[in-house]
Amino acid sequence: MKEIAVIFGGKSVEHDVSTITAHIPIIEALLASNKCDVWPVYIAKDGSWYSNKKMNALAYFKQPDFEEQLAREKKVGLSFDKGLSLVWPGIIPKTVRIDVVFPSMHGTFGEDGSLMGLLRMAGVPYVGCDMASSAVAMDKVFTKQVLTQEGIPVTPFVWFTKKEWSDEQAGLLEKISKLHWPVFVKPAHLGSSIGITKVKNESELENAIEVALHYDDKVLVEESVENLIEVTLPIMGNDTLRLAEVERPLNKTELFDFTEKYMSGGKKGGGANSAYSQIPAEIGDELTATVKELGKETYRVLGCSGIARVDFLIDSKANKIYVNEVNTLPGSLYHHNWKKAGVSSMELVLGLVSLAEERFKEQEGLTHTFRSDILDKIGGPKISK
Amino acid sequence: MITRIFSRYRPRYVRSLIYMLQASEYGFRDYLAWYGRTKDFSTVEKRKQLIKTKKVYALYIFAYAIIIVTLASVYYAISFADSSSKIIILACAAILTPYLLAYVILAPLALIKLLQVPAEFVLMAQARKKLARYKGLKIAIAGSFGKTSMREILKTVLSENKKVASPPFSYNTPLGICKFVEGLNGLEDVLIFELGEYYPGDVAKLCKLIAPHIGIITGVNEAHLEKFGMLEKTARTIFELADYLKKKPVYINGENELARKNANRAMRNHIIYARSGAGDVSVESAKSDPSGTFLRLMIGNVQFNVKSKLLGLHNAGPLAVSAHIAHRLGFDMKRIKKGIEKTSAFPHRMEPREDKHGVITIDDSYNGNPDGVHAIIEFLSSLKGHRRFYVTPGLVEMGSRTKDVHIEIGQRLARAGIEKVILIRNSVTSYIEQGLKEAEYSGEILWFDDALLAFNALPHLTVKGDVVLLQNDWPDQYS
Repeated sequence: MKEIAVIFGGKSVEHDVSTITAHIPIIEALLASNKCDVWPVYIAKDGSWYSNKKMNALAYFKQPDFEEQLAREKKVGLSFDKGLSLVWPGIIPKTVRIDVVFPSMHGTFGEDGSLMGLLRMAGVPYVGCDMASSAVAMDKVFTKQVLTQEGIPVTPFVWFTKKEWSDEQAGLLEKISKLHWPVFVKPAHLGSSIGITKVKNESELENAIEVALHYDDKVLVEESVENLIEVTLPIMGNDTLRLAEVERPLNKTELFDFTEKYMSGGKKGGGANSAYSQIPAEIGDELTATVKELGKETYRVLGCSGIARVDFLIDSKANKIYVNEVNTLPGSLYHHNWKKAGVSSMELVLGLVSLAEERFKEQEGLTHTFRSDILDKIGGPKISK
Repeated sequence: MITRIFSRYRPRYVRSLIYMLQASEYGFRDYLAWYGRTKDFSTVEKRKQLIKTKKVYALYIFAYAIIIVTLASVYYAISFADSSSKIIILACAAILTPYLLAYVILAPLALIKLLQVPAEFVLMAQARKKLARYKGLKIAIAGSFGKTSMREILKTVLSENKKVASPPFSYNTPLGICKFVEGLNGLEDVLIFELGEYYPGDVAKLCKLIAPHIGIITGVNEAHLEKFGMLEKTARTIFELADYLKKKPVYINGENELARKNANRAMRNHIIYARSGAGDVSVESAKSDPSGTFLRLMIGNVQFNVKSKLLGLHNAGPLAVSAHIAHRLGFDMKRIKKGIEKTSAFPHRMEPREDKHGVITIDDSYNGNPDGVHAIIEFLSSLKGHRRFYVTPGLVEMGSRTKDVHIEIGQRLARAGIEKVILIRNSVTSYIEQGLKEAEYSGEILWFDDALLAFNALPHLTVKGDVVLLQNDWPDQYS
């Protein structure tokens, strides 16, 4: 049996969503497949790592005395000796060698490439986008800059850091005033709509920027789209891509905020993002085809692999499509959408594991070192034998 | 191994014995057969749980009383023995008590049964008298399978113009029927009875009690073969209904081979029914999909199209029988059509439901007989454009035919091109796998250790448009 570690939780505002994604569908489908041994690796909000098979049940995290139970758990360590092992310290330490890691961390440290960098260093196959694409996708400004460079349409924007805002506020306000209003103010790195405000006039702008700067030190201000239809497209694959259905979230308010995205609807067992959606989105064949093409192109340009979800903004009157952002770990992998596209949760999760192994194998073939005599040529005393 | 041995010495052992008695409906044969087979008593309650009734509490008290009395007697006895023998006697008593308990626990039940005999006799005499005075039409249904479906179809169609009553659930034993008769007020126009057959003579006994006017024989197959031993014996028992009715009408399922073969026993007045019709009711261009079954019915010179919500073409025969009886009772075509349109799936019998993801699950968990299985496979094979999952733990009580019946199921599944077959690991499912392989099955076989694991995995295996068939339950007494 394959030993698979699912890493979730983490020091992120999306800690709890990450726990849901890890269980629905990842751990549940892996366990149901009967094909692997699943090690749940939970990173607590204080950054401590734990792993105990009882954490394979989502119910564990819902217990009223969960924190107390966790405090009694032994922390788990990682060993990077030609691969990754989980190590529980003790007189006789217990070690489990991991074959594949399934990162299930949304937001900071997990989805921003940090975890991927760690796993890359460890030399273990891991599911999903690699370090570079995760880091770019996590930064809304980088994403827009890269996509603009490649000719993929994005809405006009202005960006700045916390320091720039305090130093050159007037200049920045001037720049922003040239955008077509209303505008959106967003923290550059946060997902799940946290800290985002739609601003209709200048009097609201400064406050919205302060809110965004509370969460992040880099802020994006971008034009909103008129006659808006929001759609999203989950994509999986490394070189050959498979597309899910184009999905239209039918949110109640203008902005799809965190509570709505994850907490409204309350459909049991659906995981994150299961409520309020039209799948496939009824936007006509032509727009659907363009969304799919742009989705594939965005996935390729950003260097995504495994899975990602590309979000689009459509001006329904002008029939203009803009790529809004890329999410490298869609909540609950958007398994509800994949299901409608003919991919069961088990096929999705096991398929992602295979893609991870495939990418790892390909990268193993690359040369990362070469023999050189540079050390010999450098000056300094030689060690005599 | 150690867990197995010590499972007899845990407090749960008493609960397991009582649970199994309850699960076997206090039938000694099933209980003793289970006891003989079982090695580990720690995980007996899997599918269901012990329901705490007065009888159960009484058995608990009795069981613990036996344990206490046994140990106390032994303790008393050893006070006379020398010290070296004491330990040996005490150890022997402790070791043997659980084994004895398994049999001794039957004593109070045997006593109750004995005391019930005169009470039952009086009850039956009263019911027989009441039914003899009864002026309405009495229909009796016998067969190894399909009795409840036939009863429900008849009840639905005939209720369009008549007051119809039938025993609830699967009350098909003399006592169950007597209980039902007790509650009748005499205003009913039609009574419909299922006749349960467990041992030879059962059907004849029920016929004498009910005195039916019309009989329906749904078929003969391997259901309860473990009790009958031979299929011929099953057939003879079921045809006790035809023997009783003599010249009165008996409807016989012509699609069932053994029923057809024995049809001559039903004298001249029998009516063979099949998906092509029954008597002067004929069925044309029948087709079935997950929404129901479409038929063109011809009764005499009148034709009409009708849709039933029942799934599978095997329902066309019983629907034709209901139309035939309704017609003989003077129903007009409108009412017959309306009645048939009201027929829909019964709980756990080819009962379809669609979830929010667009997966259609057909619950056929009460279908535990080969003819029912053939019908559902035929239905699944007719579905186009759907990926089909067949989930089964196999069939119980198939006796000497166990291997053949399951190999045939496997072969039929392979021929029907079912995409995924999910098998629950037990003593019979390997034969289904054998049948699948023999017929060069090209789909995927998935194994699960128990049904619960399979049910939990299903939401992760399915996508929109898939059809999942849950066939049969595997009661704990067969584990």
